[in-house]
Amino acid sequence: MLTEEELERYDRQIMIRGLGEKGQEKLKQARVVIAGAGGLGSPAAIYLTAAGVGTIQIIDHDKVELSNLNRQVLHWDKDVGRDKIESAREKLSLLNRNVRIEMVKETITEANVSRLVAGCDVIIDAMDNLPTRFILNRAAVENRIPFVHGAIYGLEGRVMTVLPGQTACLRCIYRGLTPRGKFPVIGVTPAVIGCIQATEAIKCITGLGQLLTNRLLVYDGLKMKFTELTVKKDPDCEHCGHLLEDSRP
Amino acid sequence: MSIKINLPSYFLPYTNEQEVVEVKGATIDACLKQLVRQFPGLKKMVFDEKGKLHAYVGLYVNGEDAYPEQLAKPVKEGDEIHILYIIGGG
Repeated sequence: MLTEEELERYDRQIMIRGLGEKGQEKLKQARVVIAGAGGLGSPAAIYLTAAGVGTIQIIDHDKVELSNLNRQVLHWDKDVGRDKIESAREKLSLLNRNVRIEMVKETITEANVSRLVAGCDVIIDAMDNLPTRFILNRAAVENRIPFVHGAIYGLEGRVMTVLPGQTACLRCIYRGLTPRGKFPVIGVTPAVIGCIQATEAIKCITGLGQLLTNRLLVYDGLKMKFTELTVKKDPDCEHCGHLLEDSRP
Repeated sequence: MSIKINLPSYFLPYTNEQEVVEVKGATIDACLKQLVRQFPGLKKMVFDEKGKLHAYVGLYVNGEDAYPEQLAKPVKEGDEIHILYIIGGG
């Protein structure tokens, strides 16, 4: 049940056709895991907090570094040296006191990932490396949790939503690894991609619109162009190939 | 047959900043071979030392994933190939 304060706070989004008070209630009851409190995780967390998602769990093991501040907008000058989860909790709690912000300072591994994502409605993939993204993707598939992938490089970004068992997963489309290393980025790129990820999460929770499934959205900030590529569920995928087409997340 | 290959921005230093290259060929493989003949610096970006496609290179024809045929996938005049690297930054 929404309170009077919540009805006023979310008044403009409750006006959105198809969202309404019912949709807002769904957001309030939802639990979203954001893996990473960096460039992508910052805008995703800010907009999901502003939208009134009931519980947001952020997983990150890093401390804030000066070189993060060009893009990781949850962290400010005064936060350099602090745990990212503490810095994020402070800002998000000030933004919306109705949202329960849970912080987990752990490195995501194959051993702990199922525990970390248990019971959540959506996972936002806001990691900065492919091996951990694949660990999350597999956990999302195994636990039938919708998974919103986002990635960036320079002024380029990608987004795709996965409904395990129904649509292509990250492993269906990415079958290799790139060498790890420092990647170029300016803050506006993860801002665009992180906001699209938050939009997809809101749609997953409320049932609004059409999800970005079986479609890889490629954003090119240099040309200011979005390209949509069609991707397919791989029946031999090592992560999701064993799931039946009609299984529900 | 003329086929357009759309290149990712990180290939441009090897193509004199050319973003789209027109080639001829009946398969993606033939098109890419012609591409790297024209721009030899791209060879290592697309193929490994054994001449196999790097696992982190994605190929799309007219916006659709070319997997599992990949290099063997036939193409025809007017088709567009997109080359996409896996990216993982966040």
